[in-house]
Amino acid sequence: MSLFEPLKFRNLEVKNKLFRSNISGKFDLETGRPTQTRINWETMFARGGVGAIISSYVPVLMSGRIIAGYATIHTDDFIEDWRELGKQVHDHDCKYIMQLSHSGRQMDLPGIHNSHRATMSSTDADESLHGFPCNAMNKGQIRHMIASFGRAALRAREAGLDGVELHAANGYLFTQFLSSGINDRQDEYGGSLFNRARFLLDVIRSIRQHAGDGFHLQVKISSVDYNNVLPWERKGNRLNDTIEVCKWVEATGADAIHASIGSLFPHPLNPPGEFDFNTIASTYDAMLSSGGATFRNYLLFRYPVLRPIFRWIWYRQKHDRPHEGVSTEEARAIKRAVSIPVISTGGYQDRAMAEELVASGGVDGISMARALIANPDLPNLWKSGMEGPERPCTFCNKCLLNAPKNPLGCYELSRFDGDHDRMVETICQVFEPRSLAAKGVRP
Amino acid sequence: MRTPFPKGVAVTEVQRRFYASAIRKWIMRLFGLTLVAGLLTLAILAYFSWQTSRSYSHEYSDIDQHFRYGSIGAEQSSGLPIKLLLTLPDAFPEYFGEAGDYTHFGFLTAADAPVPGLPIGFSTGRRLGVEVAWLNCAVCHTGLIQVPGAEPQMISGMPSNTVRLHDFFLALFEMAVDRRFNPDNILPVIADSTGGLGWFERLALKRVALPQVQQELIDRRSRLHRLFGEQPDWGPGRVDTFSGYKMIHLEYTYEELDESEKVGVADFPAVFLQGEKGRREFDLHWDGNNKSLQERNLSAALGAGVTEETVLHHSVERVAKWLEDLPPPPSPYVPDSELAGRGAEIYQEYCAICHGYQAETGYVFAGDRIGRVTPIEEIGTDPWRLNSYTERLSKEQRQFFADDRDYSFRYFRKTNGYANTPLDGLWLRAPYLHNGSVPTLQDLLRPAADRPTSFVRGLIAVDLEGGGFVAPTGCHPGEELREGFCFSTIDANGDPIPGNQNSGHEYGTDLTADQKTALLEYLKGF
Repeated sequence: MSLFEPLKFRNLEVKNKLFRSNISGKFDLETGRPTQTRINWETMFARGGVGAIISSYVPVLMSGRIIAGYATIHTDDFIEDWRELGKQVHDHDCKYIMQLSHSGRQMDLPGIHNSHRATMSSTDADESLHGFPCNAMNKGQIRHMIASFGRAALRAREAGLDGVELHAANGYLFTQFLSSGINDRQDEYGGSLFNRARFLLDVIRSIRQHAGDGFHLQVKISSVDYNNVLPWERKGNRLNDTIEVCKWVEATGADAIHASIGSLFPHPLNPPGEFDFNTIASTYDAMLSSGGATFRNYLLFRYPVLRPIFRWIWYRQKHDRPHEGVSTEEARAIKRAVSIPVISTGGYQDRAMAEELVASGGVDGISMARALIANPDLPNLWKSGMEGPERPCTFCNKCLLNAPKNPLGCYELSRFDGDHDRMVETICQVFEPRSLAAKGVRP
Repeated sequence: MRTPFPKGVAVTEVQRRFYASAIRKWIMRLFGLTLVAGLLTLAILAYFSWQTSRSYSHEYSDIDQHFRYGSIGAEQSSGLPIKLLLTLPDAFPEYFGEAGDYTHFGFLTAADAPVPGLPIGFSTGRRLGVEVAWLNCAVCHTGLIQVPGAEPQMISGMPSNTVRLHDFFLALFEMAVDRRFNPDNILPVIADSTGGLGWFERLALKRVALPQVQQELIDRRSRLHRLFGEQPDWGPGRVDTFSGYKMIHLEYTYEELDESEKVGVADFPAVFLQGEKGRREFDLHWDGNNKSLQERNLSAALGAGVTEETVLHHSVERVAKWLEDLPPPPSPYVPDSELAGRGAEIYQEYCAICHGYQAETGYVFAGDRIGRVTPIEEIGTDPWRLNSYTERLSKEQRQFFADDRDYSFRYFRKTNGYANTPLDGLWLRAPYLHNGSVPTLQDLLRPAADRPTSFVRGLIAVDLEGGGFVAPTGCHPGEELREGFCFSTIDANGDPIPGNQNSGHEYGTDLTADQKTALLEYLKGF
């Protein structure tokens, strides 16, 4: 099966097997309203040839933002804005799947809406890496949260988007319920694997109730938690646990699985790549007031003499796993266990690898983010017969590490021949009016 | 659960939690830290006080060893760090002559020394965490002799015939004011010559011991230097006992001293068979100023550097007990028995009444005037030693150990002459008279005017002919000799040297030559 043959879901058909994975960027208003910049950003990928775009991380409530400045879907007021976005993406024969999310305790920059309160989570225990404060949700809050996801899905459908994805991976609210390493509840939302999956399954049911059976719904999930970035943490869910959850997810009515890895974001395995201390030391200060352990981390990032400590903590898990296709095998295992399509993410950029994976039926589609930030037209290049771009993504992760402070984009100076001005110009073109962005300037 | 906290103070939830719980945590941590710091400080204090409170003095089970190296408490009050003492020859080589060690000052060394390099007469101990050493009885009462045809022999109880305390003290005083005497200069030398220093010892030496020792030496120098500097060179085997006493213990100033009392230099005495002398209440010391053996011993200990606080009575008494019965080794001279027999008759007629006599069974401490003071007018010997001991001093000495009935001084008195000394171990007592101004017995039987005015002191060879030690005459005062010291009764200008007069004790000088020969034959067997 070629990468460029359509991928059919129960309620959706995508023109090829290539997805722009969810990736955010501070492009929107403080209030959560999406902007033209967001449209410019997303259409850049639509033009590049991906079959579908999974949106940025879109909170269903203002209490669930990761970073203030990411667009939300917590109110009907934004439906028209999202509709415009969807329309412009559709203009390029590209589908748009909104990723419905809630940060839970994994909130990097609370902003004025959230800094005064603890986040809602499954647990009272602070987030482990940064020490973000949280409180365990009570039943009423859980019921409200479940309904909020349903209403958000309905808004997405009203906006004319092509489906929704639940961000049940990488440490956000769903992970906080799913993971045995995090969820310490004593009620029916904690304890056994099924109890821990109950919140996710309830949300799927809520979405079906609100948006109907005919609306595409996929679930992004961490195949393995590896919840021990800090050595003293509990390990969390294993692959078998996740496979079991995926079966329940399918049975409850989801249309696809999007397989990732790691119970934290970022995680040593996701996105797989480098960890540039000079970059993080220049941006992490924006997060200093966000958590109780951020200053500790900042010192570890800032001072070269301390960096080996964090480097050891971070890389001890990665071992010799490759950057590219870092969690392919886990995705294959999930694919074998379910009958709905499975999309795999994690460092894809090599055409041969992607083709082999899909052609062999290992997974049904692959999603990419950093490779497309570097080269938004990578799908078109592949389709035109080229093996790959002239300047591929280096997996330096500087795009990620700049996120707390700076606009999303490619910060790998070597890809701009060391020309800082050209790099900034390229990053900032997304802020230009649509007509300019439409020119498709790329590095 | 939200913890109550004044509204409006915390802007963010992170801050609120920090103030609400973390502050308490920090306060507890601070408390814990304070506790830990307190315990740590206590531990450090305990370590330091343990280190510094471990003061002790070394004593030895073998009594001869104890006599030579055991402590009487002097190092606790006057001690210098052992490592400093051992290092001084390296740090100030010009004061230690060709020998380059303490033998330069005539101190004796033995292979069995507990601290290699420290001579006989230096006891050791630990004070304020530092190993220290200073003098004991043996420094003045252990001598070295060589009988012709035999190996040199060290004899406990005889006068220390080679020790030049005057030079030693003056050298110490000079080193103390030498600019090289500072921790920065001394410590590396100590580290080099003793194979390194522990951090505590380094700290103790640098911050406490060396500055303190220097201060003490400078203090002693300020008290003694002018007097000692003006005195004629004591030479080997001699000491000015009571001047040190006055200036150090009783804090006399130089200006207070009368001209007549400024030179109290006399020979170290022999200390054999003390028991008999004590029991018979002989007038002890050269001038017979005390009849109590215990007081004389304690007084001598004070002279060696102990104080009322540091003196180790049990140790002094142990040594004293041993000395009670310590006999002098028999004279190596084999007299002609007939000649000596005639000499014995002469001795009994003229000498025994004052000196007792040597019998085959041992020394006989009999005689009406033995151990009693003979007035200076009669004896006619050098008066300086007698004059150095004053009425005032005798009174003030009685203040020593005033609070301790067992040891308080009661018997010190001012006399008007010199005591008649028993002649046990006579062959080891040379040179003769209290000030060692007459080299041999033969010379002593000459009228004062005929006695040599200069001779070499400090040689260890026994003179079997003249009686005493080999002492070549005719040297010049101040002359640098390869061995020994030129003792002279007159200075380069021909003026008499205070304390060095060889006058008096003209007993037997008018005997005939034959009589003298017989008497000498007899005396050489003592």
